[in-house]
Amino acid sequence: MFRAAILRAARTASQSAVRAQRPAFQRITQTPFLQSRISTPATSISAIRCYASSSGLGQDEVTGRIMDLLKNFDKVQDQSKLSASSHFTNDLGLDSLDTVEVVMAIEEEFSIEIPDKEADAIHSVSQAVDYIMAQPDAH
Amino acid sequence: MSQTAAFEVRSLYRSLLRQSSQFAAYNFREYAKRRTRDAFREHSTESDARRIQELMQKGIKELQVLKRQTVVSQFFQLDRLVVEGGREGKQRGNSNDIVRQKEPGWD
Repeated sequence: MFRAAILRAARTASQSAVRAQRPAFQRITQTPFLQSRISTPATSISAIRCYASSSGLGQDEVTGRIMDLLKNFDKVQDQSKLSASSHFTNDLGLDSLDTVEVVMAIEEEFSIEIPDKEADAIHSVSQAVDYIMAQPDAH
Repeated sequence: MSQTAAFEVRSLYRSLLRQSSQFAAYNFREYAKRRTRDAFREHSTESDARRIQELMQKGIKELQVLKRQTVVSQFFQLDRLVVEGGREGKQRGNSNDIVRQKEPGWD
């Protein structure tokens, strides 16, 4: 019985508190300065990005950045053959040493380090894009 | 050239270039990269297996020198040169960032 009384008292108290608060809140929201101060926490919470979440690189963005990089690489012989699927050796006329340099430039562009074995398997733009997309810490 | 030998050469080339870019001083850095590229290009048509082995040994020796010298180079950091570009003096977390640099064009 005692507990029920406490609960009832608490409920009425909270209701009256809410009732008392509402007009005050409305009054506050009329002034723009305070309104912004009140409304910001809600919006900023929805915009928070956790550190653990991936950087969200899109496939198009990765392809675009790799293509830009190859556009500026002076050993690419035929710029017209440069596409999202071009092969470094067959289409762009790069030899194995140039391929190593291109892959290193890609590493630098996305601030990652590709291990020797995997770096050696990258022979085309699409392979590079696939590899970068599979890397969570590429950005 | 056999597949494994070719892989080793590419691997050495990669390590040499990676190590070269660790030099703090611009001139050393660019020279080491240029020298690596030129040396590999110069011998890119080599077909004698024994000669390739010799050159590989030489490359590995050079890599050891580079490793030692890049560490030494990082003890004696100078201001970034104007040719290196960009607004200097900020640590951006990249390799070869230099701590101290005046804004070019002032005093």
